[in-house]
Amino acid sequence: MAAQLPLQFEFKGDQSFADYFAGSNHEIVAHLQHCCTGDGEQLIYLWGGRGLGKSHLLQACSQKAMQQNIPAFYYSLQPNLPDPAVLEGLETQEMVCLDNIEHLAGNLSWENAFFHLFNRLRDRGQRLIVSANCPPRQLPLTLPDLKTRLAWGLTLQLQALTDQERIVLITFKARRMGFEIPPRTGQFLLTHYARDLPSLWALLARLDHASLAAKRKLTIPFIKQILQA
Amino acid sequence: MKPIWNTCLSKLENDIATSDFSTWIRPLQAIEDNGQIKLLAPNRFVLDWVKEHHLSKIEETIRQFGSDKIQVSLEIGSRKSDAVATPKKLKSAERKQNRLNFINPAFTFENFVVGKSNQLAKAASMQVSENIGKAYNPLLIYGASGLGKTHMMHAIGNAILQKNPSANIIYLHSEKFVHDMVKALQKNAINTFKDYYRTVDTLLIDDIQFFAGKERSQEEFFHTFNTLLEKKHQVVLTCDKYPKEIVGLEERLKSRFGWGLPVAIEPPDLETRAAILIKKASQTEIELPQEVAFFIAKRIPSNVRELEGALRRVIANAEFTGRAITIEFTKEALHDLISLQDRMVNIDNIQKTVAEYFKIRVSDLLSKNRKQSITRPRQIAMALARELTSHSLPEIGDNFGGRDHTTVINACKRIQELRSSNVKVSEDYSNLLRILSN
Repeated sequence: MAAQLPLQFEFKGDQSFADYFAGSNHEIVAHLQHCCTGDGEQLIYLWGGRGLGKSHLLQACSQKAMQQNIPAFYYSLQPNLPDPAVLEGLETQEMVCLDNIEHLAGNLSWENAFFHLFNRLRDRGQRLIVSANCPPRQLPLTLPDLKTRLAWGLTLQLQALTDQERIVLITFKARRMGFEIPPRTGQFLLTHYARDLPSLWALLARLDHASLAAKRKLTIPFIKQILQA
Repeated sequence: MKPIWNTCLSKLENDIATSDFSTWIRPLQAIEDNGQIKLLAPNRFVLDWVKEHHLSKIEETIRQFGSDKIQVSLEIGSRKSDAVATPKKLKSAERKQNRLNFINPAFTFENFVVGKSNQLAKAASMQVSENIGKAYNPLLIYGASGLGKTHMMHAIGNAILQKNPSANIIYLHSEKFVHDMVKALQKNAINTFKDYYRTVDTLLIDDIQFFAGKERSQEEFFHTFNTLLEKKHQVVLTCDKYPKEIVGLEERLKSRFGWGLPVAIEPPDLETRAAILIKKASQTEIELPQEVAFFIAKRIPSNVRELEGALRRVIANAEFTGRAITIEFTKEALHDLISLQDRMVNIDNIQKTVAEYFKIRVSDLLSKNRKQSITRPRQIAMALARELTSHSLPEIGDNFGGRDHTTVINACKRIQELRSSNVKVSEDYSNLLRILSN
């Protein structure tokens, strides 16, 4: 019998606080949530390695702020930067979330645009949440004024999850996607395949797809079979 | 008509990639009225992007939940009132009362901590606030980033406003001057712009180094500056360096900026840094133990903003965990910052930096050579090691060619005296402190 062709649904996780598994990062989540209520810190600098959920948290901030009727803007910087005009006029937003700001370091026109946006937001008392892959001091910025300004806020470092937390997270995420992964299977995935979260989510999507196609539960032998194919 | 934009948002959130939705769709503010939905984008870039990539989907969704007759339009704007002090918004009669001065009430002279590094700047600023246009005009405050220049400027503004709440005063960053001028030129409203800035009693303009290379703005600012000074109105400027050193600034501006009183703000010394921390903490009703203040101050040597950032972190952490602020607690709260600092500043690194600065060899610093050209840098390096690292005095002595700890004590005392009496030593020390901490 031919395998059933599952519909090509991309799993779109809700980038909300409720959908974020904090592990040992409870304090960070609390500070960010407080900030989204229009209270709390005026500047939060969130940093940590790849796959710790920085983008998820910044999007959760903009979502929560908008739910509270606080105009918010989220923008994720990529290595190919567009025209810095994207930052113009953003001081009308009560909260601006800029993701991956390490990409603007070394690009003088972006650094200048961001520096001026920073000042305009500060002068109006608006909130700014940024994320980067390193602390402010290590950002290779050309403008020293920008570096000191970024160090002025509340700097928070996201901690990586422990393996135990990752297993809990795999089961949690799988359930959100509509299938079950028992903890033992989660442990197996961690010890045999990738351990960083983006790779794990790609793996889960692949397993989900294969399981639907074969109409089989995700047992360890079946997983081995899928991943060897 | 029942508002439908929120319903559309839920649908669009499912149909559009998550980060695209967060960036382009969620920030749009909707105004629904009489069969029309006006979507407001924060700027031209967002508007163009939405128009090109998402508008048809938005229109389709709106029609699905509303009716075919609903008209959708996209504009730049914000639902909340735009509180920018644009010249066109103010009629001249209302100008005095309505001008938004952008003075931050949180920055006052009372909460500015004075030390040797900034006492002259504070005294001059207070003079200016008491004798507007008469004491020092212009007053130019210069120094590296994050040392309190902006605080001083706002403090002047607040002191003036305290005495005269309707004072015609404005604080702005130089970039805003440039931005407003460009906007005025585009809208053919340059005379309104000129009138706006040339009629203030006190103009506080921050970071004038950003005028560099902008000739048209320099020209306009030159005339604004002259008009204000001729009328004996006060101008206060800040700059990250002495204006003569700014590349791309016209000579006539450089010389005019130096007409009044240029005062420098230097990096604060250890005691002043600790005092700043205690004062800042007390503003949030936290009593910071002195030993903790010194612990943080020692690790963050030259920058007040970074100092504030570290304190913010300690307080936030203490509030979250409910723990008392002790040295142990502070070490934990700032562990990443401290380990980074320790990696960046150690005795080897200090010796290398000092040797390079004075163009001598590291081996000279460790040698028995007693020539002043060697002993002075050696003493400075020892004093820096005491200020910037947590090594004990015997350890520092040991790292300088096996010297005794009393030699280190003498070196530190000598440098402390010379920093008060000898400008060259004071400058060298400040420069090295800055190099090592950035």
